[in-house]
Amino acid sequence: MQTGTKISALAHGLLLGWAFLGGVFQSDPLPYEVQDVSVISAEEFALMTGQSRTPEVREAPAEPEPPAAVETPDVTAEPDPPPARSEPEVAPEPVPEPILEIPPEPVPPEPESAALVPETPRRPQRPSERIAPEPVAPPPPEARPDPVEREEVAPEAQNDSTREAQEATAPEEAATEIVTEAEESAELAPTRSPRPAARPARRPPAPEAPAAPSTEDAVAAALAEALGETRETAPTPTRPAAPSGPPLNAGEKEALRVAVSSCWNVGSLSSEALATTVVVAVSLSPDGKPQTETIRLMSSSGGGDGAAKQAFEAARRAIIRCGAKGFDLPVEKYDHWRDIEMTFNPERMRIK
Amino acid sequence: MKRFLLSVLLGWAIAAHAAMAQDGGPLRIEITEGVIEPMPFAVPDFVPDSPAAGEMAAQIARVIAADLSGTGLFREIPAQAHIGRVSDFSAPVKFADWKAINAQALITGAVSMSGNRVAVRFRVWDVFSGAELGNGLQFAGSADGWRRMAHKVADAVYSRITGEGGYFDSRVVFVSESGPKNDRKKRLAIMDYDGANVQYLTDSASIVLAPRFSPTGDRVLYTSFETGFPRIYVLDVGSVRRRVLETREGTMSFAPRFAPDGQTVVFSLEQGGNTDIYSMDIGSGNMTRLTSAPSIETAPSLSPDGRQIVFESDRSGTPQLYVMPVGGGSATRISFGQGRYGTPVWSPRGDLIAFTKQNKGRFHIGVMRTDGSEERLLTASFLDEGPTWAPNGRVIMFTRESKGAQGRSTLYSVDITGRNLRPVRTPGGASDPSWSPLQD
Amino acid sequence: MKSLRTLVLACSVVAVAGCSNSYLDDTNTVDFGGTGAGAASGLPSDPTSPAYFKASIGDRILFEVDQSTLNDGARAVLAGQADWLTSNPDYTAVIEGHADEQGTREYNLALGARRANAVREYLVSRGVAASRLKTVSYGKERPLEICSAESCYAKNRRAVTVLAGGLTG
Repeated sequence: MQTGTKISALAHGLLLGWAFLGGVFQSDPLPYEVQDVSVISAEEFALMTGQSRTPEVREAPAEPEPPAAVETPDVTAEPDPPPARSEPEVAPEPVPEPILEIPPEPVPPEPESAALVPETPRRPQRPSERIAPEPVAPPPPEARPDPVEREEVAPEAQNDSTREAQEATAPEEAATEIVTEAEESAELAPTRSPRPAARPARRPPAPEAPAAPSTEDAVAAALAEALGETRETAPTPTRPAAPSGPPLNAGEKEALRVAVSSCWNVGSLSSEALATTVVVAVSLSPDGKPQTETIRLMSSSGGGDGAAKQAFEAARRAIIRCGAKGFDLPVEKYDHWRDIEMTFNPERMRIK
Repeated sequence: MKRFLLSVLLGWAIAAHAAMAQDGGPLRIEITEGVIEPMPFAVPDFVPDSPAAGEMAAQIARVIAADLSGTGLFREIPAQAHIGRVSDFSAPVKFADWKAINAQALITGAVSMSGNRVAVRFRVWDVFSGAELGNGLQFAGSADGWRRMAHKVADAVYSRITGEGGYFDSRVVFVSESGPKNDRKKRLAIMDYDGANVQYLTDSASIVLAPRFSPTGDRVLYTSFETGFPRIYVLDVGSVRRRVLETREGTMSFAPRFAPDGQTVVFSLEQGGNTDIYSMDIGSGNMTRLTSAPSIETAPSLSPDGRQIVFESDRSGTPQLYVMPVGGGSATRISFGQGRYGTPVWSPRGDLIAFTKQNKGRFHIGVMRTDGSEERLLTASFLDEGPTWAPNGRVIMFTRESKGAQGRSTLYSVDITGRNLRPVRTPGGASDPSWSPLQD
Repeated sequence: MKSLRTLVLACSVVAVAGCSNSYLDDTNTVDFGGTGAGAASGLPSDPTSPAYFKASIGDRILFEVDQSTLNDGARAVLAGQADWLTSNPDYTAVIEGHADEQGTREYNLALGARRANAVREYLVSRGVAASRLKTVSYGKERPLEICSAESCYAKNRRAVTVLAGGLTG
């Protein structure tokens, strides 16, 4: 075997290994060395890069051919500036940045729009790229968006070096739904597409039962394990002999719910993760702050392991971010809220 | 009703949980309202191993940031807001610096160069938990492939955070347009999905229409008036060689699309004024007629499992969408809304069909389930048409043409939620995009 | 690669030359613009000239939205075309079908073909040999009028009989 072939085989093996087993090692709290790194040889990558242009090279993928084969066929009548492709020495000059600059809003020659078909009558909304349970007014211009409001701390006004200078923050402006250009000019977009009255019922009605709680406890447990939640280090919740105060009242619980909700961002979840309900356990310190290492996935339902993982990660971010300053909970009832199980059910956040 | 039932059930569940909590178990709460906003992330310039790599290290970070921001699911926290610096890829990350600016994800990386070889290493961090998402990974290649390496990094980041595949390391073949509406010059062009690296595949001597990538992205089918009559050509993207698909003398053939096997082509063939759908084995040239109705049958698209074909037909009087078995046979109508439906395209996930809809003088790009249920319109304008799916089935690109004598075609993309409508940068006018699969 | 480029270049030159050459005396030259402006040679006063065909008989007919049926006016024009073609047997014709911009690209190609074929069938029914008539559809690719209003759309939904061959002297 040629050396090139060996290198290639090794590289492929590593890549495949990473692809299939990568998840298994997820839980290892990685030190900062590069491991589980797939090294695609330069030749490999050149072949990949060149493949669409040079099919003949692809016939013999193992040949460590110099990427000189990558030549840009140019059938253009007028010479187009060749994408800097064949200058071996020089680092490719930074492609003129305009390529990345997508004009944010081209001035439309006429009202144009994107139309989401709303199911409910809509309230007038300010346009906002963010959706939240409660509409939030635009922040003062100098404030960075942050769910947690903070006073501005002027660096020179403080001697206490343990406190960091802080910019003032304010909750990020939000509407309760995304208002697209279309919706601003709502009359241009159809509000819904009418369906024929007599539509043949082709599918049996879907069972309406809400997602049943997962019975796959073993899976969930394994998942939680795999997710690197070090249960051993979590302070084992010691059951209070007797709760020291009355249980949380409805208002206190609702406040906690709203607090976590405001940081629970499902905007970057896959559709499958958005169909996955996760139950996440966390222990809080007496000051109301979540103990990060105690956050663990108890169970999930509705999606596969991958989706459960993403859904859990979003839930974990919500708890940590909005708990960073401590949840507002009555300290005298600590025993009632030291251990919390939060169910994150995205049913209502899904696309209609 | 369903929601009402659900909330009753939830209420009951919460009450039950509360009761349990009083028995000394953990407090249980249920969160059903969240926020939908782009996730803030930071991608500081990658760390170069030498001054020579500095420029590229910065550029790579820029491409990654543009890829992620472009999805509408992520929002970059710009470098001037950063408190922390990453000057050593291997040093522990100071998460406090990134928490302070509310970056929820952090991407760190390093670039090393030797001669024309570049290696890019990166890691993805969940800032607030301090956990690494996935493991460190390295891509290596020749320097001129740096944009592809950046796209690959962005694809990995995207899939680690969202849980679905990315689409950045992909290309788009389209029709580049110039000239006035009544004498428009059209030529085939190919580019990276983000508009970089445009190359032309044909000249503009004859009208070319609707290119379609093969399932592996190595070939393109398109319709050209090269002979004066519309005929289908197969073009090898690598060599730019093309050949005509021999159909039948004295006929027009158009609207081709590959089957998932990459060997079969489905298309429309017009004979004596009647247009029907045929399939052809591209190797042998054997043709099979799949429809035979006096109406127009066109714009066929196969399901990713290769078993069904969705197409457009006006057999009911107006153009509507139908699904039939891949070998032909009885077709089921799936579009029932008001208006006219055209150019259906089966999503690569298999769950949705994108289409063009015309109603009350406006055009829309929409999606529906493959049985026609749950139709949603994503866009509206004077003229939107010709949807094509991103390899992950999450984004649709299409043609938008503006009104009037100065009307011009532009490519747009939109998320299947209907959010994040944005133009795709092309040199000059552009139409008829076809999105490639992810590159290997 | 170089030879390919040369070839393509040569092709473009030929194509450009073909387009700028406004004679229809070459059977290989299709009225590429498809705008129906189709240059006509000869004097409009000469009843055997393509110019006369275009100016006095009428080389195009119009259609209703989505339709390919011929109305009475269209039939009258086509009857004239048929007579002219019968008395000028040296000419052949390509019938171009066109659609307005309201409709998808694919559907409009098919619709244009329907229109062109309706014309062809009518001409054949009036005695023109089928072998002298070819059809092609440009769909919405070659509008005659470029405004986005019904006044323009009406003129774009057309079939144009473009003469080829014949004596131009």
